[in-house]
Amino acid sequence: MRRTWKLTVASFKMYFRQREAIIWSFLLPLFVIVLFSFVRFNGMGSITLGVVDESGGGGKELGEDLQKIPALKLNEGTKESELVELEKGERDLVLVVPAGFQNNRAETDTAQGQSIIAYINEGRRQQAQLGVLLVQRALDERTFSRIAVHGRTVVQTQAVKSRDLTYIDYLIPGVISMSIMQMGIFGVAFGFVSLKKRGILRRLSVTPVRPREFIIAQVIMRVAVLMLQIGLMVGVGVFFLHLHFIGSLFFMLLLGVLGAVVFLGMGFAIAGVSNSEDQVAPMANLLSLPMMLLSGVFFSRSNLPGFVQSITAFLPLTPLADAMRSVAIDGSTLLQVGPQILQLLGWGVVTTVVAIRLFRWE
Amino acid sequence: MDQVLEVRNLVKRYGDLVAVRGVSFTVQRQEIFGILGPNGAGKTTTLETIETLRPIDEGEIRVGGFDVRTQQLEVKQIIGVQLQSSSFFDKLTLTELLSLFGEMYGRTVDPTVLLDAVELLDKRSSTVNKLSGGQKQRFSIATALVNDPVILFLDEPTTGLDPQARRHLWGVIKRVRDEGKTMVLTTHYMDEAEELCNRVAIMDEGKVIALDAPLSLIDQLLKSGKVARREQRLATLEDVFLNMTGHSLRED
Repeated sequence: MRRTWKLTVASFKMYFRQREAIIWSFLLPLFVIVLFSFVRFNGMGSITLGVVDESGGGGKELGEDLQKIPALKLNEGTKESELVELEKGERDLVLVVPAGFQNNRAETDTAQGQSIIAYINEGRRQQAQLGVLLVQRALDERTFSRIAVHGRTVVQTQAVKSRDLTYIDYLIPGVISMSIMQMGIFGVAFGFVSLKKRGILRRLSVTPVRPREFIIAQVIMRVAVLMLQIGLMVGVGVFFLHLHFIGSLFFMLLLGVLGAVVFLGMGFAIAGVSNSEDQVAPMANLLSLPMMLLSGVFFSRSNLPGFVQSITAFLPLTPLADAMRSVAIDGSTLLQVGPQILQLLGWGVVTTVVAIRLFRWE
Repeated sequence: MDQVLEVRNLVKRYGDLVAVRGVSFTVQRQEIFGILGPNGAGKTTTLETIETLRPIDEGEIRVGGFDVRTQQLEVKQIIGVQLQSSSFFDKLTLTELLSLFGEMYGRTVDPTVLLDAVELLDKRSSTVNKLSGGQKQRFSIATALVNDPVILFLDEPTTGLDPQARRHLWGVIKRVRDEGKTMVLTTHYMDEAEELCNRVAIMDEGKVIALDAPLSLIDQLLKSGKVARREQRLATLEDVFLNMTGHSLRED
């Protein structure tokens, strides 16, 4: 016991004296969160509209009307430049207001229609269609205001305050889960292989230290670091990034420990079969990259094709990220994330068994 | 005299290769026993088998009365080991490392005493990666002494060191011997064996081909008449080198 404790203390000292470790485990996840918080994924719902005004003044009011619609992001330019932007995918649609267009025509002229051409982005058909409807409505409003229309049905909207979850709410529990995976796979695998390669484990193995004492010390240290990570990320989220945190930090820490068992097991297994960092890198990346991208860390798995969704449901990072998110922003209890916990427990058994079978001191 | 180490008919194979073929020797209390031989002779394998690092294929090894095959933990408690190329955690200071190593044996050690014994007291707050080659080897000996071992194993302690650092390390080893420690060391420097060892075993191709005190081995060779008695010079080229470059260490 005392020996394990002393090894744990030494592990802590070594960890926190490593500048790289601090950067990897604390600054990098924060950096990822802050960086992604600038990316307005919510803003992706807005429609980018290019306006080419060739009317010589007649389309001025139309431009003003469109400006007032919050869902539209307006850009003005020449026909050539706007069409180039459209082809690049920078515009959802481009309106060309033709010469002679009059938004405020005399009532007598209204019998005769006029048209505006909209070039639309095939790749963003939905946004483009919506954009066309909004433009059409703006035009109609002007027309209606001039000619008397009776018995018009108007939709009245009423705002209901919802929880208004943002991308940050999605992202932070995801990045927390990802950090647990990274610490397990990369931290442990690289750390141990380096100790092994330099003969440090060999030197330890001629002392009465049992391998499990050293491993327990390492696990305690890493789990503690991980708890600090979770606390830090939730704290930064709540105080600086408007994270709608309504869950239990304690539950998140428990999930963190469970996730740590799964991924530390993976790390020890990789360290077990590798003799150098060069052998660790491909294995670690092969395991972690698909999970990082497909387990719902940065974006929802519901965006993935059906069969990919079914496969990624079985990756260990998926239940961890789902459970973390559910606890953090839905305030779920451990019982409510029971299925995820069971899945993690299953993975934990698998990785631990594999790790024990593959782990070698030298 | 007390027997501290007994190796009987040790055989060690790596696949088809037989690295050690029936080696036997005993080491008495307070002697320095040398294992000599060219590279690949089986010196390190023999040593590592005694140190519990490699399983014994055939034969028996007893250290301080404990069977290496069945009482590994007891053996580990009483041996001190300097591995051929061992490094240490590089984020801990020498003091912290020695305390940690002491704890692994359940002992609270005084790092100052140990560092003083290997002349590294002024480096106590340094880390291992800041040490020179000779300093590293001396520190390695200090870590092997934390448990006040019954027997100390040094695997090629001076390989790769310059003459000054080598002489310095010899001094440290002699002082450890004078304190009554038993040691087994491997080397391929004959002058080192002659200088330090009470008895040597010469190994070749996995076998012990000679075992005696260095001077008796030399006498036997001379008596056999296989070499012409060389005219004895009272100094060697190393003495010239040391005379010109000084005996003092330049590592600090």
